[in-house]
Amino acid sequence: MDDREPVTTQAGQPRRNARGAGTVRAARQGSEDALGQIVTELSPLLWHVARAAGLGPGAAEDVLQTVWMRLVAHLDDIHTSAALTGWLVTTTRREAWRVRAAERRELPADQELLAEVPDRGPGSEEQVIVDDQRRALWVAIGRLSARCQELLRIIAFAPRPDYAAVAAELGMPIGSVGPTRGRCLAKLRALLASSFGGSW
Amino acid sequence: MTTPPHPDLPLPADEPLDDVDFRLLDDIRDMFDAADPMPADLPERIRFFLALRDLEIEVARLAEEDQPALAVRGAEQSRTITFDSDSLTIMIRIEANQDATVRIDGWLAPPQRREVEMKTTTDSLTVSSDEQGRFAFARVPRGTAQLIVRLGDPGPGGAGRSVVTPALIL
Repeated sequence: MDDREPVTTQAGQPRRNARGAGTVRAARQGSEDALGQIVTELSPLLWHVARAAGLGPGAAEDVLQTVWMRLVAHLDDIHTSAALTGWLVTTTRREAWRVRAAERRELPADQELLAEVPDRGPGSEEQVIVDDQRRALWVAIGRLSARCQELLRIIAFAPRPDYAAVAAELGMPIGSVGPTRGRCLAKLRALLASSFGGSW
Repeated sequence: MTTPPHPDLPLPADEPLDDVDFRLLDDIRDMFDAADPMPADLPERIRFFLALRDLEIEVARLAEEDQPALAVRGAEQSRTITFDSDSLTIMIRIEANQDATVRIDGWLAPPQRREVEMKTTTDSLTVSSDEQGRFAFARVPRGTAQLIVRLGDPGPGGAGRSVVTPALIL
């Protein structure tokens, strides 16, 4: 259990996942610590998976709780960190769709994905995205397709060693040397280059 | 903003991710983190919930929460919360102590002698309710906590049936 690596969160630094090879095994063998470590590390990713699927904060919390409960029942079938992350992303996405579909039947509303993200009233993104580059990024992402917005949001929260597994679960093509840029990032960079030129 | 230069060539989508891609992904993460942060205590509440999975549990619902007006005498603060489950009603009153802890007085209805556990993130305290169903924790650290009332003796298979409350923020 002490084989975990430090998580580097500094901008521009590779983010490794905090789970060493033994953590999934320890969790499978019933270690509350190992399971807790996994919950702490991957819940932000799953939060954004659920929110990107269009769920409100309360429904997103419920979905996460359901997914983690279900993971405990499935731990025996999951052997690697990457497989675990992939399984969690897919299960969260499916459960979020199911809940969203049920909500839609009650209250028909089809908003743009990004439009409903800042949940704190108008202008909140202006307050939190202070510099021009961030603002440009926000605008550029808003011009991508809903699918690209969802994919990039999810991939951005995936621990880097698990990118390939998550990308595969999301149906993105994987190159022979690992995850590729993909159409969404290529499109985003083209959009940013056209508004910011060389600074991206 | 300068005159937008035209991107000379669209970037190939099938190239491996480069440093700029990684930096962009970091920025996207920071952006969504700021715009729509996960509630900070959510992982903790999930851990709490998972820790109870081996118990045969009944989850009590929050039935009523009464927080008196802010204009209370001095620094004294108290609130009363009622939880309902199929077999039990749990009512607790939370009062701030002078130190960084709280005092909790509780009642079980119908009245009964039970083992009552207060599980916090750092440890767990166990007391017994009396015949009138009353129980008390004199000092509980502030933070997330959850009450567990054990309805029966542990059988040979392990833990007995319990009623648990949702996680409380003290």
